[in-house]
Amino acid sequence: MLQQAPSAAFEPDVVVVGSGAGGGMAAYVLTRAGIKTLVLEAGRDYDPVAENSMLKWNHEAPLRAGSTPDKHFGYYDATANGGWTVPGEPYTVAEGSKFRWWRSRMLGGRTNHWGRHSPRFGPYDFKPYSRDGLGMDWPMSYDEVAPWYDRTEKLVGVIGANNGLENHPGSSPGVLLPAPKPRITELMIKAAANDLGIPCIPSHYAVLSRDIDDPHVPRQACFNASPCGRGCAIGAAFQTTTSLLPMAKATGNLRIVTNATVTRVLTGADGKATGVEYFDKAGKAQVARARVVVMAASACDTAKILLNSKQGGLANSSGQVGKNLLDTTGTNVRGHIPALESRPRYNEDGLDVAHLYIPWWLYKEQSAGKLDFPRGYHYEIGGRFGAPGASLPLGGMEDGYGASLKEDARRYYGAQLSYTVRGEMIPNAGSFCELDPDVKDKYGMPVLRFHWKWTEHEIRQIAHGIKTAREMIARLGGTVLTPDRPPEEAIEDGGVIIHELGTTRMGDKASNSVTDTFGKAWDVGNLVIVDGSVFTSNAHKNPTLTIMALAMRSTAHLVERMKKGEI
Amino acid sequence: MSISRRVTLGWIAAASSTTALLGCDSQAPKSPKVGRWEDVALEPLTAPGYGQDPNLVDPMVPWPLTLNPSQRETLRIAADLMLPADAHSPSAGTLHLDAFIDEWISAPYPVMQADRPLIVSGLAWLDAESDHRFGKNFAQASDAQRREVFDSVAFKDKVKPDFVRPAEFFVRLRALMLGGFYSLPEGMKDIGYMGNTPSTGEYPGPTPEALAHLNAALVKLNLKPV
Repeated sequence: MLQQAPSAAFEPDVVVVGSGAGGGMAAYVLTRAGIKTLVLEAGRDYDPVAENSMLKWNHEAPLRAGSTPDKHFGYYDATANGGWTVPGEPYTVAEGSKFRWWRSRMLGGRTNHWGRHSPRFGPYDFKPYSRDGLGMDWPMSYDEVAPWYDRTEKLVGVIGANNGLENHPGSSPGVLLPAPKPRITELMIKAAANDLGIPCIPSHYAVLSRDIDDPHVPRQACFNASPCGRGCAIGAAFQTTTSLLPMAKATGNLRIVTNATVTRVLTGADGKATGVEYFDKAGKAQVARARVVVMAASACDTAKILLNSKQGGLANSSGQVGKNLLDTTGTNVRGHIPALESRPRYNEDGLDVAHLYIPWWLYKEQSAGKLDFPRGYHYEIGGRFGAPGASLPLGGMEDGYGASLKEDARRYYGAQLSYTVRGEMIPNAGSFCELDPDVKDKYGMPVLRFHWKWTEHEIRQIAHGIKTAREMIARLGGTVLTPDRPPEEAIEDGGVIIHELGTTRMGDKASNSVTDTFGKAWDVGNLVIVDGSVFTSNAHKNPTLTIMALAMRSTAHLVERMKKGEI
Repeated sequence: MSISRRVTLGWIAAASSTTALLGCDSQAPKSPKVGRWEDVALEPLTAPGYGQDPNLVDPMVPWPLTLNPSQRETLRIAADLMLPADAHSPSAGTLHLDAFIDEWISAPYPVMQADRPLIVSGLAWLDAESDHRFGKNFAQASDAQRREVFDSVAFKDKVKPDFVRPAEFFVRLRALMLGGFYSLPEGMKDIGYMGNTPSTGEYPGPTPEALAHLNAALVKLNLKPV
């Protein structure tokens, strides 16, 4: 267990709100720089070793470990006290909007179960407005962030390979860990994709294919078993509870308090942050004072806390707190492939994650005006001899009963492919969160009310993603299993891909953004934001790696300012 | 044969919860009969689920099971017919798929509670249909007679109008039984799932045999072999 008894002698220089990707990285950088750091986590303490269910079988759990409202991603998913609802902490959705908000209430937050897909943003992704006039540019270039990607990837441990493709930048030599061998299904997808002029390359995931030695927190290479979403007791699949947090603790400069739900950032007469107010496990209000407050509560919770901190919102002179809420577009197309029927069995678990993926590839066509939508998407591909659970996917090919049904199961098992579209959403005025005027949570604080809108950009992009996936399935002689719905229906609701971003975006001036390039609030010099809320745009590339790289960069900058005595 | 601890717990719960049974004699209104199908009205379940922070190391089913012994017997027979013993694995009935289906439809969650009336009504339909045709219920019918009942609902595109609803029941029951059966050790062995087994060193990837099969398939599709 990482939590230590509160000590009166421990007076933090910095209080970090949240222990997930951003908060874990901030704590790591601060404590290693000798700065006393207090991490407040709203959820309970969590020990991924003592509580691990890595090799348990589906049949050992209720309902064959299938999805329920209590455990949406299945019984063994490493989400504690969370999901689409959190007791006592409701949210509302404005009429006409559809939005869902995934939260967890545990040490390490959502890093315990996340998908671990870790592509870098590229040069285009930091300057989207300059390229197509939509959204806003980031206040820095890719080149300024690249060294932080290298450092983050090295620290986190990322498998993959450089590919030389446009706007899919490589890592410096020696940074990436070797990519695992592709599965049969992935090789088949690649063959058809390449034939259609579509790349299919080793994917980047925060999973170790080699041991990482650390005197305090050694992490083992993946042992080629167990879904990463269950959490990883051997430290192969990255989560802060097996890496950044224990590494930070080893410095002696870290204190963690769990069951500490922050409700407000406190400020003094000079407008500077003086600490935070939180509610402890007993429901009692407490105050944690510090020279600096670092926010990493997750995009929407950070916005909520800032909006609740002051009339009109703290750090909100731009009016941008809660605005520009982003998620990733998503849909899925599945196909049954006769050529994969009755194929020879082997252990296809691999590193659990997809070993190959299809990156966005139509930059030239887009520049030439041949596409009817801006920005890109990628496919996360799937299909394997998966662990049978509450359902056995046979592509609906099974029929009848008896001996022939058993033959059907053997024939059709492992013969389906899946193409999951993940695309860029552009900020729009209809997608934001604000304080609900009526509804309050169990701490008496107004809750968030979400507004959501997809625009034609996302809808057309999804249409393209569906059409192209169907073409790839057809090229393999397959049958599309997913109903052919219009893109407006096929696109997942806002929030469902669990990539909320943008609610305190960074920018080059105080009038259009909440923070500067280093996550420093324009209005409050000793308030730094290091979670996904600072994203100026949401490239289709899954955000957590970038959250961590920016958290490392912003916290290193904060350390410099503190060492210079600026704050 | 394997009886997991989970299943055993289910049995204990079933033995202690016979009062929770609600069957055809429920007071709730019934929908019009189509053929021998009748929607059985059931009172909602009130047992809690396992919550948002259950014990992952030592899982257990907290809700009581709700089917009566006769429904369980019908299910067990149906399971044996659905997935009979062969050279590769035992029958679904001997692997207690009736207990799994009971656990499923007794779970206080929306998906399972949508399945519950379908399954309970379907079990009643098996008896009613069997009685209509042979003058005895499904359990008393011969193997050939039970097959006749199954044959009228089991095959795609061959379901007559009066059997549409029973066929929905059958498709759902089959899906639940496929998941329930092949997730057991005997089922995983049969179907050839070889994972959830740690190994050191690099993931070895596909076997030469698997690669040869892939390449033959790619050539047939006029795609480049790997």
